Amino acid sequence: MHLTNEERRMAEGEYGEGVRRSIELLMKLGDSFGAEKLVPVSYAHISYDFCQEKFWDLMTEGLAKTSHRVTTHPSYQPEIWKSWGLPLADRWIGEHERKLKTFKRLGWLRTETCAEYLLGIMPRKGDIVSMGGSCMQVANNSLFGALVDRMGILVSLAAAVCGRTPLMGLLLQENRYARHIVELEDLDVTDWTSSHYHCLGYYVGDQIPGFKPVAVNGLPPNLPFDFVRALVISMPTSGSVTLGHIVGNTPEAPTLDAACGGGRPEHVIKVGKREMAETWQRLNVWEDDTVEHVAFGCPHATIDEIGRISNLLEGKKIKTSLLIGASVPVEALARQQGWAGIIEKAGGHFLPVCPSIGNPFTRPDIAGEKQARSAATNSARSAHYLSTVSGVNVFFGTEEECINAAITGRWRGEAPTW
Amino acid sequence: MVIQAHTVCAGRAEGEAVVYEGSFSFMGDLDPLTGTVPVPRHPLEGQSLVNKVFVFTTGKGSSAGDCAAWAAWQEGNAPAAIICLESEPVLSGAVIITGIPTVDKPEKNIFDLISTGDFIKVDADAGTIEIVKKEN
Repeated sequence: MHLTNEERRMAEGEYGEGVRRSIELLMKLGDSFGAEKLVPVSYAHISYDFCQEKFWDLMTEGLAKTSHRVTTHPSYQPEIWKSWGLPLADRWIGEHERKLKTFKRLGWLRTETCAEYLLGIMPRKGDIVSMGGSCMQVANNSLFGALVDRMGILVSLAAAVCGRTPLMGLLLQENRYARHIVELEDLDVTDWTSSHYHCLGYYVGDQIPGFKPVAVNGLPPNLPFDFVRALVISMPTSGSVTLGHIVGNTPEAPTLDAACGGGRPEHVIKVGKREMAETWQRLNVWEDDTVEHVAFGCPHATIDEIGRISNLLEGKKIKTSLLIGASVPVEALARQQGWAGIIEKAGGHFLPVCPSIGNPFTRPDIAGEKQARSAATNSARSAHYLSTVSGVNVFFGTEEECINAAITGRWRGEAPTW
Repeated sequence: MVIQAHTVCAGRAEGEAVVYEGSFSFMGDLDPLTGTVPVPRHPLEGQSLVNKVFVFTTGKGSSAGDCAAWAAWQEGNAPAAIICLESEPVLSGAVIITGIPTVDKPEKNIFDLISTGDFIKVDADAGTIEIVKKEN
């Protein structure tokens, strides 16, 4: 791999062991994909809480403040978990605080969200960004046309430390054209909610063999942002799609031809009522209808979503625990609107955590004997990880069905007729 | 039989094959504390991957895949080696960080040639897969 003089100094340990280890990892990864060089990033996004402390310490050892911006994924909030009486919260405090101390020393930004673009922190078309968080990667690639390759959370720390990423994969224009096409068959999307788009994205991700870009054809142009986002972020949950072109909706796909770069796709996937019905059913993993928890905000909630939830909860009391994953600035806006107050009065909570992988109510290693054994969600991504990571029963349905479940403690969701 | 393949992470290891003709994520598809597949209705549900030569199509899923791989590896619950059709960056990063010998792009159809239970030697330094068929 070709290195600049500066990168050679990094690799020789002139900037400390953390930088040396980080660039070595980036070089090995790049070599395995035939990358010719490393390239500077516009900014880097990491996850300090998902990153194991030993790895964190190895990569940040001797690191000085970086000149490039580094932001972070949803965090853990062990002090708040403790104040809610979650029995095993204590064991998370030490590690969280030690890593946060380093994070702050480095001058990195505590965005603590998987939806930074809601804070106005977003790449422009063509910007190279390194990111942990597959939902961040796919959203920034697909919705804004940034150049973001698929990358693990540990590797993204190495990229943030060096301000470099290997020139490979989706950073190269020739790899950004759709290699698979999804055609909608007998589906009428008129009454679809974001849950329906989650379901479609989950099916598409599962059907794509590999990580090459996909184009979804046949949806109305200029769909609401939340719908397009729901569709693309569900793809890397069931598969590894990191760039989804939604024809008529995303910047690199004004037309199907443009999305495919004039090339010929490897195959066409047809989606109809049957596929959607089966996927909806697959996302529901439960035996009896008792709901103990409701999770919203995967990916982190938009202000519109919080507004709708507040509307449904006004003057109500809920029987389950309810968590909305949202960034601190979006929560602040919801509070200013009076919506956060309504939701909290009904019994709901806000946290800038990941409500899927890092949900304190369902994680047995956080909630202990207070673990909720079943959870309802309107996100396919959440349904997938609540079931596999927390091992709880999962109900997947619309926002409204989830709110009804929170109020009654029972699941009355119905499979759509499509 | 020896099959040529492309090196993702160097190293050598051998063990019993677990073959799954589908994609895999260390996050969610492997319980780091037991080394088994915890996914309900998954064809490998309950199967241990500890010290196995795990054969599958490609990586998928959460970018926390490398964190989960690290956790499983720290617990001694990682596969011994990995063979896949085509790796992707999250999987590649995970195996490079944990040093799991891994090859991809095998020159022959591994799903026709390798069955669960076969004894497999992976030499990722040389980029080869050696299949020792199960005694019937």
